[in-house]
Amino acid sequence: MKLEENRYFKAVVKDAWPYTVGAVLLALLNITLFIANGSPWGVTTPFVYWAAWIHETLVGPVRDWVYFNNPTHLKALDLTFFTHGGSLMNLGIIIGALFTSLAASQFKIRKIKSFRQVIAAIVGGLLMGYGTRIAFGCNIGAFFSGVASFSLHGWVYTIFIFAGAWIGSKLLVKFFM
Amino acid sequence: METKTTVTERVTVRPGRKKKNQLPAAIVVLLGVIWFAFLLGGQSAGLALSWIFGICFGVVLQKSRFCFTAAFRDPVLTGSTSLTKAVIIAVSIASVGFGAIQYAAVTKGGTLPGFVSPVGWHVAIGALMFGIGMVISGGCASGTLMRVGEGFMMQWLSLIFFVLGTLWGAHDYSWWKSIFIDGTSGVHLPSVLGWPLGIVLQLTVLGLLYILADRWGNRQKS
Amino acid sequence: MAEYRLDCLGEACPVPLLKTQKKLAGLNVGDMLIVEIDHSCAMKNVPEWARKEGHNVEIEETGDGEWEIYIEKVK
Repeated sequence: MKLEENRYFKAVVKDAWPYTVGAVLLALLNITLFIANGSPWGVTTPFVYWAAWIHETLVGPVRDWVYFNNPTHLKALDLTFFTHGGSLMNLGIIIGALFTSLAASQFKIRKIKSFRQVIAAIVGGLLMGYGTRIAFGCNIGAFFSGVASFSLHGWVYTIFIFAGAWIGSKLLVKFFM
Repeated sequence: METKTTVTERVTVRPGRKKKNQLPAAIVVLLGVIWFAFLLGGQSAGLALSWIFGICFGVVLQKSRFCFTAAFRDPVLTGSTSLTKAVIIAVSIASVGFGAIQYAAVTKGGTLPGFVSPVGWHVAIGALMFGIGMVISGGCASGTLMRVGEGFMMQWLSLIFFVLGTLWGAHDYSWWKSIFIDGTSGVHLPSVLGWPLGIVLQLTVLGLLYILADRWGNRQKS
Repeated sequence: MAEYRLDCLGEACPVPLLKTQKKLAGLNVGDMLIVEIDHSCAMKNVPEWARKEGHNVEIEETGDGEWEIYIEKVK
């Protein structure tokens, strides 16, 4: 196909970009977002709203929980997925990745291969979710944006996410390979 | 066959392989993205902007296979530090930009913008949990979302429990607050050390970490 | 010069690289290892590691989101 042999198509659409290019672009995007939004990039707070919205619909209110009892969270609880900026941003990440995978013809539904992967996904997901609420963020909000905000909590996060990755690696090799 | 490492990955495509050209589907998705942006823009420019930023983040993450998990995991697990160095570059550039934004806001008499959260053992424990979780599930927060879009069903599952985990954490938050978080506060390095020292110190530490990561990655380890 | 295949389809990151490292260690110089993957991270981190170790590496896309990494053990 003539298009696929075009140098520029190959470099931008087909081939993977170097890590350094990604790093520079992510940093510039985060800075631009910070300027435009007044607040830098964060990924996991919308997650708790998604869960809260579902909980409030199916089970009962959460606004009496200590966690949600502050102006920011209370305001968000009254929004919906499509009226909440952070939620739309997360959906955008998913669709953006979908788009580039398809554009490079590299999209594939990768099925779960083993029961071990199921356990790993469940346990890993729960650990990550729980950890973000008590540490005030994830690898983006607490580490990337936190450290860039010159916050000490970001540096503490850095040390301990590294330690956690070390422990996780041991567990991965022992139980999940 | 050459052994020279190149900047971009040289991948050949097997001729005549049975694969579908997914470019048409990509165009459909792109049109959908643009349509949705206009739809949101009709409600609020802020929502449309959030959507576009998300798309941009997703594009960059997927195209460069940017994985924060690997940045923290690989130095010890596989000996590679290429992502570690890339992450340090990203944080360093962002620091410069964020520092300028914060300085501008504060000198105008406003509140300090950015993510400055209370420091204490809760951060350590939560980060430890996150680190373990991201390695065993095969993706951190951004990585999981990226892989959801790439079609990895394991991350679809991980995302569901990630979301549930946050609610569980929110539920237990009052306990953590009373034991660990109450009494702690955020520490903004330039506010405590003065702007010149705060910024120079952080950038220096990041620079040293980069050199360390570079040296570590170049060790021939097998 | 023997040729070996390593099926890593469906494996989560970083399992393809870990399995490749282990398998390659047991091969003789001159052997060829063909690693089958469908993980977008692995199509970067496996060749990167193998090249860093000094081996000859080529990658071929064999399907939608599927690659074969040819590693010729050099030392």
